[in-house]
Amino acid sequence: MRRLFIMLAAILIAIPTGGFAADDLQLQIQELQKQIDEMATRVDSAEKKTATDRINWYGDFRNKADTLHYQDVTFNPGIQVNMTDFFMKVGGGALGSFAAFNPATPAAGLDPAINPTALDNMFNNLYLSNPNLYANLNAAMGGFDPTNPATFPGVMPFPLGTKSTYDINNDILYTTRLRLGMKAKVADNVNFSGRLLMYKNWGDSTGSKVFDSWNSYTMDGTDGGNTTGDWVRVERAYFDWNEIGGSNFYLSIGRRPSAYGPPSQLREDELRGGTPTGHLVHFNFDGITAGYKLSELTGIEGQTVRFCYGQGYESELGNGELFNEISTKDTHLGGINFDVVNTGTHFVQMTAFRAMDVNDGFKGVIAFPSQYAEIFAPTMNKDLQKFPNFNFVTRVQPSTVIGDINLAAIGYVLETEGGFNAFVSGAMTQAEPNGKAGMFGGLLSDAVFEAKLSQDGTEVIMAPVRATSDETQEGYSVYAGVKFPAPSGSVGLEYNYGSKYWIPFTQAQDDMINSKLATRGHAGEAYYIVNINPNMFLKLGGIYYDYEYTGSGSPVGTPLKVKDVQAGTAYSMLPVVDTAWDAYASITVKF
Amino acid sequence: MKHTGKLLTLLILLVFAATVAMAASGGNQKKGKYLYKKNCKVCHVEGAEGGKLTPLSKTQVQWDRFFNKDKHKVKADVWKQFSEQDLKDMQQFLFDHAADSDQPETCG
Repeated sequence: MRRLFIMLAAILIAIPTGGFAADDLQLQIQELQKQIDEMATRVDSAEKKTATDRINWYGDFRNKADTLHYQDVTFNPGIQVNMTDFFMKVGGGALGSFAAFNPATPAAGLDPAINPTALDNMFNNLYLSNPNLYANLNAAMGGFDPTNPATFPGVMPFPLGTKSTYDINNDILYTTRLRLGMKAKVADNVNFSGRLLMYKNWGDSTGSKVFDSWNSYTMDGTDGGNTTGDWVRVERAYFDWNEIGGSNFYLSIGRRPSAYGPPSQLREDELRGGTPTGHLVHFNFDGITAGYKLSELTGIEGQTVRFCYGQGYESELGNGELFNEISTKDTHLGGINFDVVNTGTHFVQMTAFRAMDVNDGFKGVIAFPSQYAEIFAPTMNKDLQKFPNFNFVTRVQPSTVIGDINLAAIGYVLETEGGFNAFVSGAMTQAEPNGKAGMFGGLLSDAVFEAKLSQDGTEVIMAPVRATSDETQEGYSVYAGVKFPAPSGSVGLEYNYGSKYWIPFTQAQDDMINSKLATRGHAGEAYYIVNINPNMFLKLGGIYYDYEYTGSGSPVGTPLKVKDVQAGTAYSMLPVVDTAWDAYASITVKF
Repeated sequence: MKHTGKLLTLLILLVFAATVAMAASGGNQKKGKYLYKKNCKVCHVEGAEGGKLTPLSKTQVQWDRFFNKDKHKVKADVWKQFSEQDLKDMQQFLFDHAADSDQPETCG
């Protein structure tokens, strides 16, 4: 009975189940078909989106706080003047004559009954601003005999103000940097790459800075590493045409990836950020690279040779060329970059290039410092005194070609799987001045000024006529560092030294005080990177600068001993920093 | 100053509290690169049996899926010659250099 009951129950269960199974299968197939249809629709839209997304975007976003401290900054303005020429011109009447001012009785000042001449005004102003200098000048002029070369004073420094020394503390400076990378596939062997950049101080989008250092110039080659405002600039944009004709050649043209090159990617905590060595180049050049992947021939991993050409300055278009008064030339750069080996663990790189027809500056925008109006532009200064907090924004362009520069470097980077990294790099620069100078000077030499009358004859003005030297000057630098694992991240220590005539193209390095690699003297940095997640890190660190010579990062002007400027025996038209430190904290997100 | 010190301590604690382990882990990508070149490149080059395959051929998620699920099922025998650590090393290398990984910002 029990067995029968079980059999009946089994049949009762089996019959409906069997009936349902066919229906269920049908239902499942229908359901699956529905899902496939839905997925096809979704894949179609994804496919459409992918096909129409011509550019793949990525980027990083950094917010940074710096505290900047400068010690013993000295402003001791002065220029080099051809005093022999000046005395000749005063004595010979080329600068007019005295009328309302008697050089022998300067305290009497200008005779109000007589219209002052240019010479009257010059000597009166000189006496009023610096009686000691006036006395020395007058004495020298008294002993000057235009027929006796033994009495010729030659070129002498001419002070233009009173020396002042001070400390500066910018307790907190916040900046934001947004970089948007772009990649696009043009063809199987052609790619486009680009990077847009916004880099700004918090609470500042003026786009111009008061000209107090070469860092404050808003210009083509360095905007990528200097805060300019809330607008987006094209830091780099170029195409790569690989495997041309099936060979190992490639061609790349456009705004170059010429900043953040090895070994500087370690302190940025990113992969190699540019092609040339970062020890020599952090500068946004426009140009062409023709590369050959030698590794395919030699079997040496990562071996690539690149021939690079670029233009650093356009001398004509936009410079008022139709007035036909331009005496500058385009600045061209040519060189070679050789990745000797690049295994991912060992990296050896050699870079050598020549900058031809370097001019006495770049095209750029500055806010005119009122201090210069006080020194050089008495007429303008009268009006500017009514607007003490106004700085007119002006476009500056160079005036003359000052020479050529050769640069070379060799560097080695070790990156181990365990996270220990080390690098060492040696570099040298060779400046070949041509003896010419603009108002800021010649190539690593100062300008020699000579007096002349203004066009209307009412003022004696000083005009640059040549450089103090046309001697070739060599500079060198070493750069070394380590980066090793630490709790939750890594720690880095770096040091670099630059000699008196060291002049690399690293002005777009985004250190707040100045490109540390341009330092003529010593610079040391320590940092701690804390990885919050794979796409987010915190960086705490500090850079200490000890400048030995003036003008770090500037190809224009004689590098002077900082100590001499502080002692008042040497002069500089820009404030001179002795030591400085920058402690910073930043948080970066990558996406 | 007192408050600044406390604030700084709190900030540091927060940062460390928020710190998590790195995503891809367990493999030695340098060893993986060696193994990949030695073994995979035999078939996976232009014109060879496996066709061209580079780390850039897949995204990080796709490489993970390949190693965790697919396991080279078109030729399963190949898979068996590797130790677990070998596979981890190769996965790490391919993951670290996948199409959506960070790439050096150089030309060419």
